[in-house]
Amino acid sequence: MSRFFATGSDSESEESSSADEITPKATGTTFNKQFEELTNIIKTIRNAMKIRDMSKCLEEFEQLYRAFLKSKTIVDKEGVPQFYIRLLADLEDYLNQLWEDKEGKKKMNKNNAKALSTLRQKIRKYNKDFETEISSYKENPEQSAEEEEKDDIGSASSSKSDDDEGVTASKFLKGAESESEGDEESEDWGSDSVDSGGESEDNEGEAASLAVVFLKKYVAQDGDKQPERKKDDRRKRHKKMEQVDEEADEEGEGEEGGWEKVKGGVPLVKEKPKMFAKGTEINNAVVIKKLNEILQARGKKGTDRSAQIELLHALAGISNENNLGEGILVKIKFNIIASLYDYNTNLAAFMKAEMWKKCLECIDELLDILFENSNMFIGENIAEDSENLAISDQPFRVRGCILTLVERMDEEFTKIMQNTDPHSQEYVDNLKDEGRVCGIIDRLLQYLESKGSTEEVCRVYLRRIMHTYYKFDYKAHRRSLGLQGETKSEQDQEESEGEDSAIIMDRLCKFIYAKDRTDRIRTCAILCHIYHHALHSRWYQARDLMLMSHLQDNIQHADPPVQILYNRTMVQLGICAFRRGMIKDAHNALLDIQSSGRAKELLGQGLLMRNMQERNAEQEKIEKRRQVPFHMHINLELLECVYLVSAMLLEIPYMAAHEFDARRRMISKQFHHQLRVGERQPLLGPPESMREHVVAASKAMKMGDWKTCHSFIINEKMNSKVWDLFPEAQRVREMLVRKIQEESLRTYLFTYSSVYDSISMETLSEMFELELPTVHSIISKMIINEELMASLDQPTQTVVMHRTEPTSLQNMTLQLAEKLGGLVENNERVFDLKQGVYGGYFNRGTRTRPRNLIKDHFQIKINCIINVVFS
Amino acid sequence: MLTVFFDLWSDKKRSKISSVKTFSSSCVFVRLQVVLKIIKHYQEEGQGSEVVQGVLLGLVVEDRLEITNCFPFPQHTEDDVDFDEVQYQMEMMRSLRHVNIDHLHVGWYQSTYYGSFVSRALLDSQFSYQHAIEESVVLIYDPIKTAQGSLCLKAYRLTPKLMEICKEKDFSPEGLKKACIGYEHMFEEVPIVIKNSHLINVLLLDLQEKSTVADKHELLNLSSSNHLEKSLQLLMDRMDDMSQDIGKYNTYCRNLSKQQQQKQQYLQRRQQENAQRQSRGEPPLPEEDISKMFKPPQAPARMDTLLIAGQINNYCQNIKEFTSQNLGKLFMAEALQGHSS
Repeated sequence: MSRFFATGSDSESEESSSADEITPKATGTTFNKQFEELTNIIKTIRNAMKIRDMSKCLEEFEQLYRAFLKSKTIVDKEGVPQFYIRLLADLEDYLNQLWEDKEGKKKMNKNNAKALSTLRQKIRKYNKDFETEISSYKENPEQSAEEEEKDDIGSASSSKSDDDEGVTASKFLKGAESESEGDEESEDWGSDSVDSGGESEDNEGEAASLAVVFLKKYVAQDGDKQPERKKDDRRKRHKKMEQVDEEADEEGEGEEGGWEKVKGGVPLVKEKPKMFAKGTEINNAVVIKKLNEILQARGKKGTDRSAQIELLHALAGISNENNLGEGILVKIKFNIIASLYDYNTNLAAFMKAEMWKKCLECIDELLDILFENSNMFIGENIAEDSENLAISDQPFRVRGCILTLVERMDEEFTKIMQNTDPHSQEYVDNLKDEGRVCGIIDRLLQYLESKGSTEEVCRVYLRRIMHTYYKFDYKAHRRSLGLQGETKSEQDQEESEGEDSAIIMDRLCKFIYAKDRTDRIRTCAILCHIYHHALHSRWYQARDLMLMSHLQDNIQHADPPVQILYNRTMVQLGICAFRRGMIKDAHNALLDIQSSGRAKELLGQGLLMRNMQERNAEQEKIEKRRQVPFHMHINLELLECVYLVSAMLLEIPYMAAHEFDARRRMISKQFHHQLRVGERQPLLGPPESMREHVVAASKAMKMGDWKTCHSFIINEKMNSKVWDLFPEAQRVREMLVRKIQEESLRTYLFTYSSVYDSISMETLSEMFELELPTVHSIISKMIINEELMASLDQPTQTVVMHRTEPTSLQNMTLQLAEKLGGLVENNERVFDLKQGVYGGYFNRGTRTRPRNLIKDHFQIKINCIINVVFS
Repeated sequence: MLTVFFDLWSDKKRSKISSVKTFSSSCVFVRLQVVLKIIKHYQEEGQGSEVVQGVLLGLVVEDRLEITNCFPFPQHTEDDVDFDEVQYQMEMMRSLRHVNIDHLHVGWYQSTYYGSFVSRALLDSQFSYQHAIEESVVLIYDPIKTAQGSLCLKAYRLTPKLMEICKEKDFSPEGLKKACIGYEHMFEEVPIVIKNSHLINVLLLDLQEKSTVADKHELLNLSSSNHLEKSLQLLMDRMDDMSQDIGKYNTYCRNLSKQQQQKQQYLQRRQQENAQRQSRGEPPLPEEDISKMFKPPQAPARMDTLLIAGQINNYCQNIKEFTSQNLGKLFMAEALQGHSS
């Protein structure tokens, strides 16, 4: 059986291809096209019939019906095509057969069974319209097929002989089969309603009927050979797939392949290896017509996009050769670029490298042309029919928007960067294109500055800003340091001659602030401007701009990419504040981002794994598209380190000052979390990671040991991990040391002031290696803020402690007293309630008095304790 | 070990004197061996706030309980799950019987950390002991106080009242109120007499003669804040628990009274309606199950609160004792200082 089916599928391949052969090419193109469509659908129906996929059949049938209606005009003219009738007849027979086979029907799945009954009803109704044709076909199938044959004899004659050969081969095989299979089978063949004579004469008829034969056999033997059949089925399907592949492979050599194979899609493109017939006079009209023709296929299913691009290129070449003028060239270029963008239908997919290169080149060329021809108008709002492409006295008018193309190009570039592994050489290579992208944007900027409307200028400015804001301007930095001198080579000098990015940013942003009417561009521009300021340590400008913009209030209404930009800006602002030694500001700016624990996600620098189950694939794709390319990333470890260090500098003195305060609040939860993690470690080794370093430093600082703290924060490991990432690493380190000294001093005074009666400021200044005035100022500040109960003795330069702060034990007793107060209050409330209902304070007896007793006890005890402590 | 030994000995004498005074219904006789074993057990296995436990063996003679031997519960980690404690105890007792040791299970002992031992676990297990053998006691050994210079070993029993409540397992506010039990009536302390054979007494006396005097500076240690701080910390934790419990109870009371009110209102309305219906000649509304409509709120278990109160009392006693001792010491030190200067 299996062998039989194996060969069966062989013959099927003939069938399908022979069925395809119907494709007539004689008549005009529209006719051709529509019939093509019909035949395609018929083919799929036949395939579906073979695998008994009823739902597919139904679907296709409906499509066929629609397609047929579409080609109504032609049908009216030419008469109903034979192949159509044939299909209808075959389908009906087939359905009836299936319908009668109760057993097989039972085994069908629900969908299929349902589709079968619907399809049967439909085709019955439908076939009534073609009753005469169908009956005539049924009476004389071969004749009608013959007629058809004649139709396409011209095209198919070459393959005809091959056909016959194939048929005989299959016949032969079949014969062998039937012998081996035994009588039962041959009986089956014999009882076929198909005219076997017709079969031998006409491959067409045979093909169709063969299917019927197969199916019939199938059905008849359904009962006992079910599993086998299934297996075969699968194999068959598999085969078919292969076959399709083959077809695809062979499409180039279709002529010699024995069977004329039709490509899956509309073979419009294939017909035009040559653009124009020889001798056609090539002029504007013709080229435009051709262009439109090509463009029509755009976006259609099955259009070979790469071929289309090729065609457009060829067309561009032709128009160039024939000097048809820049107008048409520009138009074609526009379309080339557009179809380059179209190449990937999937929004998430990115351009291939070669495509990208081509795209860049095209845009470059386009810009060249635009610059050369100042009398050319391009714009989206120029209607198709008011275009002026011909060379004439009037200026060219071309529809199309160069800005959109460039914007799209920029997005494609981002996409490419997103999809490249950031640690590969490839990424570096890709990144080298950034220069070109910037160049193109620059050129466009120049072009639009002279020609474009303000809106367009704003848009292109924003693009320019987007490519500038995250780059640190080393040239300007060096210049500001006054470092450049004779030592540098000429090339460097040349390089440093360019405009400072700060000035550019300022100019562009100010233009946008003034001219922009869409809120989004302005918002982005402000954020970029702040980012740029912050990146270059212009803290006050950045902060003022941030505060003036009032973005904090309504940023949550913005779209996610702008929010990401906002987050990036805030982070950069925080880091800037840190560099400038404004620890508190730095902490505040970073608090929101860091406290969520999702900094990575908020900055658009990667997706968090734990959210995987919360979002579906669709969302994930969207989120992936929002990611910031790697070269724009803010180093997360640096961010965290800056945050933790600033938290340490704030929190440790605070903790020391409020050690016994019951209502003390944490400044930074995350920092405390890290501390706790550190404490939980059973064995404390030397710190490894950045966090461990900070935790270890915090511990040292708690004891007022600034030297250890310093060595933990600033050492080689931390330098390489964090501090060296700053442009002014040395200055930052100096600032840090100073901060650590100051805060350690404060912590020391908080923690140990209770031990001292008086302490010399000189000693303190020696201990913390701070100048005397600094120590003086710190202590004075503490005294003014009532953090330190002490007074300064000027002549001896000492701090005299007042010793009014309670000791820890006293503190505890105070806390206890407070708690007791609460307890008593609570207790009283219970009484009130009881009194309200029962009116009985003393009814409660044993339950209540104890607590009052406790209270008394405590009062006594507290007195005792305090006595002990103070004596 | 030797110093402890002597401490014990002197302590023994003291406790004997005091116990004779208060001796009324029953008392516990403890062999010195048992005390030493308990101390040894703690020193070997317990550290910090960890607690060691063991079984007391002995016999009941007339109205007094004699504890003649003990053995520790082995410490076992979470890992070996198949360790069977009961099995171990049975084995142990069987073995002890073979060497002719009293094998009546008369209670258990436990070490304590700054006097915290009043807990639900202790209550439950002591209840089960006392349920089986009425005279069972729990010996509480306070290693910290002992380290300060005076042996601290106390025997506790649940009061009959508490036994009844535990038997009924009624810890609701009403139940406890009915039983009229307060935290001071939960445990009764049983006086301990450390008793030895005369031979051992003789040996001790002999040893005392021979030994060079051990310096007992622990007793005179003037620093107090550490101990006090720890105690206060624990006390405060309990206090927090207490406030929480009271808060819970408070809300419960409020809910209850609110519901009572609603119930009252409902009944009134019902009555009015029925009166109206009657006047109109209609049949009265059917009786509904009011208790179903107004389910009383879940009453919080009050036993824990009682236990916390007991524990707080305990802490307070400890602190009081400690502070008064310390005050004495301070005065003494002052006097000495004044004298020397």
